[in-house]
Amino acid sequence: MKARGVQLILCLGILLLPLLFTKPLRAQAADATLSGTVTSPSGAAVPNAKVSARNLATGQSTDTQTNASGVYNLTSLPSGDYEVSISADGFATKVSPATLTAGTTLTLNAGLAAPPAQLPNAPSSSRTEPSLQDLGFPAAETQSDAAKQALLDKRTHMLKMHQRMGLITTLPMIATVVASMGAGGRDTSSASRDLHVALGGLTGDLYAITAYYAIRAPRVPGTESHGPIRFHKAMAWIHGPGMILTPILGAMAFDQKSNGQKVHGIASAHGPVAIVTAGAFGAALLSMSVKF
Amino acid sequence: MKNNILIALALLLPALARADGQWVLEQCTLTYHVSHPLHQTEGVSHAARGKGTCHAGQCDFLIAVPVKSFDSGDSNRDLHMLQVTRGAEFPMVTVRTRLPEWSATSATLNVDLEIQFAGQTAEYKQVPFKLETHGGETHIAGTIAATLSDFKIDPPSLLTMHVKNEIPVRVEMTWRPQ
Repeated sequence: MKARGVQLILCLGILLLPLLFTKPLRAQAADATLSGTVTSPSGAAVPNAKVSARNLATGQSTDTQTNASGVYNLTSLPSGDYEVSISADGFATKVSPATLTAGTTLTLNAGLAAPPAQLPNAPSSSRTEPSLQDLGFPAAETQSDAAKQALLDKRTHMLKMHQRMGLITTLPMIATVVASMGAGGRDTSSASRDLHVALGGLTGDLYAITAYYAIRAPRVPGTESHGPIRFHKAMAWIHGPGMILTPILGAMAFDQKSNGQKVHGIASAHGPVAIVTAGAFGAALLSMSVKF
Repeated sequence: MKNNILIALALLLPALARADGQWVLEQCTLTYHVSHPLHQTEGVSHAARGKGTCHAGQCDFLIAVPVKSFDSGDSNRDLHMLQVTRGAEFPMVTVRTRLPEWSATSATLNVDLEIQFAGQTAEYKQVPFKLETHGGETHIAGTIAATLSDFKIDPPSLLTMHVKNEIPVRVEMTWRPQ
């Protein structure tokens, strides 16, 4: 019984052995090897030099060090294009391209150069990393300006408030226009007119706050307006005076209606002026929201 | 003997000069793209300057551009951009990278970038770029998948809606060896 068990294990072992060896053998065939010798300018071997091969397709790096004879060996590298970087204390780093083919060994010997001499009067750009000064920007462009940043912060804060208040103002403005439908006709009640006046008053107050934040937002010196903001500002020259004129004409129209008169004279312009004002306000809002 | 040394020096000098060569950025267009629920915006700058210095097969590149040089077509938007990115406090965007000198002959390049912007430093690994060489000039184009959060910038909002965090930056450069 025991002998049969041993036989069975042996048979299984014989059957499984090829499976165990197949994968590593395949991997060996598909992988490449990179090796070489690292030497100093005098031709002497450089031990403990760091050799790093970076696969350009995957970005993965494989590192090793040279032995006492200056020899390195990187095995099991996937085939492809590599950037091989070799560095050692007291020498300049050497970077070389290498293309590895599956199943082959590439020999890449490297002669390291001496580090660059540090000449006391050498220009900074000659052998070191370039600096911002090397690019020749005017000093005013590269210097930090805390005062200007504070100005920009204040401007943005005020214009955010302007934007919010503008959005809030839109609601009573629409309601005022809607309420005007029942306020100006021959058979309208005083309650309808009062509602229209109350909504118009609220709109005017909110509009004044909105305008305050835009007018008081600090200007940034040296900035010329261009783009949709110019249209936005141009619309303010229509809805601004309109928001002053509309309540004045509205008050005149209200008095005439309250006295039982038909709205006449300049007061009859209240409706058209209000429509143009609301239209300009809406266009100003859209100019900041939709790109055209 | 003396003549031989002189000839050898004459032959070697150009090779040495090439080893410590420099690159100059001839032209550069940087375009950032911002997405807002209501519209898409692009800001363009042509004001970048750059330089590369090479030594022992390695080239260090620096590209810098003033933040305020980006033009989105609207001065108000540009001033907001300047404010949110703290462009007056940190007026320059700088990009640094190190490449092997031979990479100028490749058709594609995966580059590790270190970008300083808005007082923060972000690293972008293996950014793919395409290279073309014409008449001694090398044209490089690619897109950096930058985000606002990489630089700790709060997404600005318009009409209470925030812009997307992603601000991909398209880079088109022409470099010339010096």
